[in-house]
Amino acid sequence: MSQILRSKELNLIAMFLAFLAVFVPYFVNVPALDVFSTKLITITAITTAFTLLLAIYSQFRRGFDFVRRKPRGWIFKVYMMTAILLMLLFALGGLETGPYHWVMYAIITPLSSVNYGILAFYLASTCARAFKARNTKSILLILTSLIMLFYQAPFTGVYVNLGPLGIYLADTFVMAAGRMFLISVTVGAIVFGVRVLLGQEPSVLGIGREE
Amino acid sequence: MMSVLKHFAEYDRRIVYLALFLVVTIMLMTPIGLPISVSPSTMQYYDVLEALGPDDRILAVLNTEFSGYMEIQSGIIASIRVMVEKEAKICIAVAHPEATGIPELVLSAIKSTMDEHQYTYGEDYVVLGYVFPNEASVASAAQDWHGAIHNDFYGNSIEGTFLDEINDWSDWTLISDYTTGIQTTALINHFGLRGAPMIVNGIGVEISILAPYLDTGIYKALLQSMRGGAELEYLTGHPGPGMTAMDAFTIGHYLMILLIVIGNIGYFGYTRNAGRNVE
Repeated sequence: MSQILRSKELNLIAMFLAFLAVFVPYFVNVPALDVFSTKLITITAITTAFTLLLAIYSQFRRGFDFVRRKPRGWIFKVYMMTAILLMLLFALGGLETGPYHWVMYAIITPLSSVNYGILAFYLASTCARAFKARNTKSILLILTSLIMLFYQAPFTGVYVNLGPLGIYLADTFVMAAGRMFLISVTVGAIVFGVRVLLGQEPSVLGIGREE
Repeated sequence: MMSVLKHFAEYDRRIVYLALFLVVTIMLMTPIGLPISVSPSTMQYYDVLEALGPDDRILAVLNTEFSGYMEIQSGIIASIRVMVEKEAKICIAVAHPEATGIPELVLSAIKSTMDEHQYTYGEDYVVLGYVFPNEASVASAAQDWHGAIHNDFYGNSIEGTFLDEINDWSDWTLISDYTTGIQTTALINHFGLRGAPMIVNGIGVEISILAPYLDTGIYKALLQSMRGGAELEYLTGHPGPGMTAMDAFTIGHYLMILLIVIGNIGYFGYTRNAGRNVE
């Protein structure tokens, strides 16, 4: 039985039927199919939410393995596992007050903010070093960046109206790059989806290696 | 002269760190209140908010971590304040575990406005917590709201709240997305593309990815990063964290320009000549 359930063909058929159940109602108005599709999506949402438990299990399994082998930095794994357990425990005591609330606002908030804030220093340093007028392309890049930096600084607009130029750059070159990125990602996702449905990406189903 | 040019070309990166740290810290601690200009995109965003009324139901999605919140908090606070002033009904949903702590910060920042308009939990606003962990959950909420969501963040049933009037995506007047990019595509796919009006407040690096959706009409308006938030604060007449940060924002931008210019003076005055001499 387990061999049948693990078979590539059966998995692909199940996936293809699930795909049709969600895809077809977008184009055909059949109420019964719509209800089935909605239920299927809700079941998927709830099932995938439970992957959080799987993630916690994996983290602990990997963490215990680290602690047993004691490679460099193993103590951080102990810290991580303790933090997960404590937060689970704290959350049971209430979310609005108490230890959970304190950890959220006194530890997670500042750490997360600092993590993001220090990026500004790296960006500034990289920007100052990389933007050198070595050739025509880099000169164009620097000119554009200078215009955009002046345009984005709110004070500039009070005295110099760079708005039309900034909007022109945003609506043409930036928009073109943005669209190209979105179209590439979307086409890539469609191609990947078709490959999955054709059984050319079996690793998605966990039934083999990627071809 | 050559030593100065050499210094311009090869200065220690820690000088950049120190200069930026000093500029930002000094400007945040002693703001001088530089005037700011309001961009057309913020005006467009403000017009959408201004058109709201008591019959409107808004799904505000915090698609951000705490880190990203620091950049768009001014936009979030200013937007939700206008929604409260317009007495629209607001449901706050979250798409990242860290963001479960954000609604409390936002609601406490606009407490006086909420008290003024007698906002009541359940009747006028609901906080859902982490209900959008993945695309399937967004799709599910768009198609069958009550099939997907039963409780609020505090573990209470959502029955008896204004959410009783919501069945699917079409019952929302507005989807207001505050994003670093987590479930934004899912919201577009399952709410925006079906026809639910959407507005968005995104971090700086997301703007070029979000802008095409403004062009296609999926987004009714786009509020750009912290600067947009500050402009919205200015328009609504409630100065907050955005306007406080604008001095540092402006001077930080000018510092970047100065560093680029200095780097290029060093490049042409020293690095390039040194290269020629070696050849």
